[in-house]
Amino acid sequence: MTRTALLALILLVSHNLPVRAQAPFDMTPERPASDAPIDGWTGDEPASRPVVETPVALPPEAEAFKRYLLPNGNLHLNGETAGLVWSVYLTPQQAGTGAKFNLGYQNSIFVAPEVSRLSVEINGTKIADEAVRSADTVSDLSFTVPKDLLKPGSNLIRIHADQRHRTDCTIQSTYQLWSNVDSEKTFLNFSGSEARGFRSLDDIRAIGVDDDGLTRFNFVVPALDQPSTTIPLMRLAQGLAVLAGMPNQSFSFDTRSTAEAKAGELAVLVGTPAELQPLLAALPAAASAGPLAGFVEDPGTGSPVLVVSGPTWQAIGAAIESIVAPTEVNGPAVRRDAITTQRWRSPDAPFLFSDTRLQFSQLGFKTEEFSGRRFRTDFTVGVPADFYANAYGEAVILLDAAYSPAVVPGSHIDVYVNGNIASTVPIASSGGGILRHLPINVTMRHFRPGVNTIAIEAMLESEDDKLCAPGATGSETPRFALFDSSEFHMPDFARIAQLPNLAASAGTGFPYGRSQDATRLYLDRIDADTLSATATFLGRLAVGAGHPIPVETVASAALIGNRSAIFIGALSQMPETVLTQMNIDQTSRTTWGSGTDGQGGVNTEVALDAWREKLRGGTFAGWIAGFEDWVKENFDISFSSLRFASVSEKSFAPSRETTLLVAQGASPDGSGTWSLVTAPTGKDLRDGVQAVSTQDSWGQLAGHITTYARGTKTIDTVPINDFDFVETQPASLSNYRLIAANWLSTNILTYAVLLAGLGVMLGLATAMLLNNLGRRE
Amino acid sequence: MRKVAIILSWIITSLGVIALVTLPINLQTQLIASIAVVTFMAVIKILRAEGTWRLTALAFGTAIVMRYVYWRTTSTLPPFNQLENFIPGFLLYLAEMYSVMMLGLSLFVVSMPLPPRPSRAASEGKYPSVDVFVPSYNEDAELLANTLAAAKAMDYPAEKLTVWLLDDGGTLQKRTSPNLLEDQMAKARHQELQILCNDLDVRYLTRDRNEHAKAGNLNNGMRHSTGELIAVFDADHAPTRDFLLETVGYFEDDPKLFLVQTPHFFLNPDPVERNLRTFERMPSENEMFYGIIQRGLDKWNASFFCGSAAVLRRQALDQTGGFSGLSITEDCETAIALHASGWNSVYVDRPLIAGLQPATFASFIGQRSRWAQGMMQILRFRFPLLKRGLSIPQRLCYMSSTLFWLFPFPRTIFLFAPLFYLFFDLEIFMASGGEFLGYTLAYMLVNLMMQNYLYGSFRWPWISELYEYVQTIHLLPAVVSAIVNPRKPSFKVTAKDESVLVSRLSEISRPFFVIFAVLLLAVLVTAYRVYTEPYKADVTLVVGGWNLLNLLLAGCGLGVVSERGELTATRRVKVARRCEFGLDEQWYPATIDNVSVNGARVNVYAKNLGTLPLDKRGLIRFTPYSSGHEEILPVAVRNTQVAGDIVTVGCLYLPEAARDHSLIADLIFANSQQWTQFQMSRRGNPGLLRGTIWFLGLALYQTSRGIIYFFSSPGARDKARLAAEAKR
Repeated sequence: MTRTALLALILLVSHNLPVRAQAPFDMTPERPASDAPIDGWTGDEPASRPVVETPVALPPEAEAFKRYLLPNGNLHLNGETAGLVWSVYLTPQQAGTGAKFNLGYQNSIFVAPEVSRLSVEINGTKIADEAVRSADTVSDLSFTVPKDLLKPGSNLIRIHADQRHRTDCTIQSTYQLWSNVDSEKTFLNFSGSEARGFRSLDDIRAIGVDDDGLTRFNFVVPALDQPSTTIPLMRLAQGLAVLAGMPNQSFSFDTRSTAEAKAGELAVLVGTPAELQPLLAALPAAASAGPLAGFVEDPGTGSPVLVVSGPTWQAIGAAIESIVAPTEVNGPAVRRDAITTQRWRSPDAPFLFSDTRLQFSQLGFKTEEFSGRRFRTDFTVGVPADFYANAYGEAVILLDAAYSPAVVPGSHIDVYVNGNIASTVPIASSGGGILRHLPINVTMRHFRPGVNTIAIEAMLESEDDKLCAPGATGSETPRFALFDSSEFHMPDFARIAQLPNLAASAGTGFPYGRSQDATRLYLDRIDADTLSATATFLGRLAVGAGHPIPVETVASAALIGNRSAIFIGALSQMPETVLTQMNIDQTSRTTWGSGTDGQGGVNTEVALDAWREKLRGGTFAGWIAGFEDWVKENFDISFSSLRFASVSEKSFAPSRETTLLVAQGASPDGSGTWSLVTAPTGKDLRDGVQAVSTQDSWGQLAGHITTYARGTKTIDTVPINDFDFVETQPASLSNYRLIAANWLSTNILTYAVLLAGLGVMLGLATAMLLNNLGRRE
Repeated sequence: MRKVAIILSWIITSLGVIALVTLPINLQTQLIASIAVVTFMAVIKILRAEGTWRLTALAFGTAIVMRYVYWRTTSTLPPFNQLENFIPGFLLYLAEMYSVMMLGLSLFVVSMPLPPRPSRAASEGKYPSVDVFVPSYNEDAELLANTLAAAKAMDYPAEKLTVWLLDDGGTLQKRTSPNLLEDQMAKARHQELQILCNDLDVRYLTRDRNEHAKAGNLNNGMRHSTGELIAVFDADHAPTRDFLLETVGYFEDDPKLFLVQTPHFFLNPDPVERNLRTFERMPSENEMFYGIIQRGLDKWNASFFCGSAAVLRRQALDQTGGFSGLSITEDCETAIALHASGWNSVYVDRPLIAGLQPATFASFIGQRSRWAQGMMQILRFRFPLLKRGLSIPQRLCYMSSTLFWLFPFPRTIFLFAPLFYLFFDLEIFMASGGEFLGYTLAYMLVNLMMQNYLYGSFRWPWISELYEYVQTIHLLPAVVSAIVNPRKPSFKVTAKDESVLVSRLSEISRPFFVIFAVLLLAVLVTAYRVYTEPYKADVTLVVGGWNLLNLLLAGCGLGVVSERGELTATRRVKVARRCEFGLDEQWYPATIDNVSVNGARVNVYAKNLGTLPLDKRGLIRFTPYSSGHEEILPVAVRNTQVAGDIVTVGCLYLPEAARDHSLIADLIFANSQQWTQFQMSRRGNPGLLRGTIWFLGLALYQTSRGIIYFFSSPGARDKARLAAEAKR
């Protein structure tokens, strides 16, 4: 291996050799692609080897390669104790190359540096443990990663902050404590340029993120407008999405190579050699012979390019299979034990289907002692798409914890589910105590299909804090301990799917992920925007489902019949039945995006609410409204929840501000699930889908319709009022019982009426019984 | 076949309700359902809907109760690994489940009680021979004279009626007692009663040894008599004239009938009624039992023998070897034995006797201890649920009757449970404020409404709780001892001839004051903790409210144990009967206004009679119901009041001959209608709200009275004790 200016394709035989002496990349893009002809190619027929591992060329110039790390952009570490554990996939070359860990952060001025620490662990080895002292500027620290600490494959990174206030001892003051780890300055810095290159298809997992936590696959497909290419392309996109498993993935399609590849991006060239020739002059000759999938180095930038080629599109399909096949381990019929989340938080969320007890140690929590006043930790669990226990269900945390005599009553332990308070347990006795498996009921109201985050927060008050002597904040005497023998107990819960339910689709790709039958895909046109949106959307579904979802394009909506389908395109181009099934106003077809508000004039509902607000107080109606508020606040019952099931839904018209609409509905006969992703224009569609498929937004997808407004970056949902049940489980009495419990807990009045009805019946039956038994007069 | 279908449809409906009720619905749904049910029940109650609607309301209540049980069982028990919470928590749970079970059993018994049977008096029939047994142990001759005279005066062919005084106070064993005093008293009694019986034409019977107490005595009576039927009256239970006519006919209707039971009606208040002054206004405690529970039992052919005021069939008793004497409640035990051998019973809901209740709180407790211990013995020796021969409804009925007497346990637990939290900070009931509202409060409301529905005009709100509370303190040890040592309790005759002349505290009142003080302290602790621990004020307030309820009961209990002195030893009965009053050979027209066992008040129409001298001899001439011709009863004038031409004369009977006793009995006891009327005058359902407010006022007043007694009369207390000792 020598330093070379030429782009060298290394022969297959040597693809496993360590590439240590490579020069750093040249990140400058001056050279045209054709400047660096490919002089060799090795690849396998996918038919004979499922995974084609192709050595990558050396970059022209050696430069340090930055591998950005933070999965969701800047990492905010708030409070007295906060942290994140996630895993980063490294290629063998990266693992083998010496690296430095670069850490950039800025902290709140209130953080006391002498008692606050920011630490970094890689694979369990602490590589940094710094005082938090960067209040003025973003620090730029660099730590050497010990040799051999990084491994090929997944590497666990833990960033953790322990922060104490300079002067204030109140719980309130802990909210002023933060450190903001800067994603732009937090990266692994590999000294050798060969760390940049990808060799085997496994290295796709190492795509990583850019300095904002985004991951993007840039497809260059010259023949993308040919309808026959859509299915293999979508399959490839989904396969890549599942392989990479990054939190914020998007796909872009283009016919020509344009943008340079940046960190967190991977260029994917798909086409026959003839199609690719203009783009990649030195296409390996093998591409003309058979299916081929492998990496070449972009002659211009030195970044790796995934080339998927073959003499025909059929061969390309085979090449795609070689990439996608490994992701099929979790097929539609396979029940996953965990939902993969490790690229953004580790460990993976255990997937719970029925009564399960999980020790905190299994959830990635280690026993912790804590000397501050606000302790917080969280873990994730996954629930399936047919989770139907929001209204009645309660999970139980069996808490093993201890608190010292310093902790006074008034302290409490709170549990949050997906950021919503779910339970509060007061610490009611003084003198310290050990809680042994203290049951805490956690309402499952805020659970949603897919990954759920459950946080435990202990608010600890003490006499010392009331006095708040100088230096008291830095006391290291533990006040609270949470033991990893604590358990999370998920009871058996009702399981039946709802149609529509976008949250289920977002969480686990339901129902498409479960279907053995290919999902029909209707695209109003096949262009770069539509395909980008489609690939991003499907990729997201596939990640949720854990495997690619087989799709089949249809040219006309009429061909879909009643099968499950996904419709993507401009609203104006959508078939009428689709809008009817989704209960979307047909007129919005023309009005949406045309500049005029589809509703026109004053929105009745908004206006009515405003008037209600205006007239509140004084009148009888105001008194009733006040009472309703009181009931709502104290018992969480609103008058609107006191209705009987199945209110007919008003047809929905997207407002002017919205730029994307995702909707779900049943097929005309109710047997299939139709989803609609639409926007006024193709560009809106592409941007909108990309925006909603980020980690933060995707979880907000819910209800019957979800809209996204680009201007305000807000996501709104239209809740499900009218839905059908879709059975997912074999019939069982206990499941039906729980389903009934949940349904009746949603339809409160129905329960009361049912109870009344049965009460009357029982009264009659008893009267009859007593009139016929025993003595009577 | 039809029956099977009906039972099946009932079971299916019940299963439906159970399925709905055991759904793990959320709190909001529970709240709304509770509100709906409570409203529905209230509406039905306000409309006074009866029949099927009544059962529907009960079904509703049952649903809420079952929801409570489901929730209580599944989500409120403290975790097992916190034993300090779990043990008291589980005890509380058991106590609640006991209450629910008793509610269930009483629902079964009284959800559709038999309506009162039409009077039998008018119907002609055969007159089987009847032996009337009046067992006596230590009652004095005068009391017995009234009873025996009333028994003798019953409207029945004289040749078919034999009245027996079964004297256990003058047995050979007693007459030859090594205890000189006892020996002498027994001999005197033996003599005196023999003379009395002779005068009244009543058979006197005693025996050699006092074996098997009352049951033995009755069996001895059976051995010496031959009548087809046996009527039993306690020594103080004087029957009305129509007693036999109203009861005997049923034996002809049903050859398998072994018992006709009638209610016990009491002339005097029990100590609770006397001390709370509710006798005239509120239904007596036993009216719930005789007015509705026995009727409910009757529906299931499970009305049982209550020791007196009943007619039994000799043939049936012979079959099971007479009255059973294993337990100290021989009456119920006998009834179980006979029911189990296929005999039937009937209950006649019409007071046909008038008796006396224990006057002091101590003897009241003594009586209840006997009942409770006896029922424990029956539970132990004759466990009704598994008793062969009983029908399933009968088993449940007997379980209901016997298990009732376990109430001291839950009552004690309910009393002290709040203290676990208030004093020791133990969390024995895991629920939030909202859950408490949606489940516990709804349950309590529904429970109260159901009680009111079932027993409304027989038992006013909170009175059951009060009675249970005042009995619990002394009954708990009695019940425990009967459970631990079921063969130990022995039959003790309840004294009914005492009277409280001076206001004083009961000799067994001390625990009541101690408990009151503790609960009061707990109220102070509540206030302190609400102030110092605002973060759990909600829980503290709920528990404190519970404790406050206990305190109210305990305060009312103080009134119960503060014995009011009464000037008149015996209760007067309003009669309004025409008579003539004779003074110095002159007869004046008069009416008898009211009578008691000692004397009468007569309104005499006489001009210029003036005030009569004390102890002046007078005569009352009237026509007794029994004879049909006028007879004369000698009296002594005690006081006179002149109001115009009417002179009201209070006089004391001066019975000289045995016939005079019969006349007195005729004046007081002959007319059964008056007892019914008196009971009816008290029957009225004040409703839950009004009853509760009334009880609150009562409790506050009684608390103050108890406290005043406690502080003001240590002297009186000592005097009373001395008086009691002297009497003994």
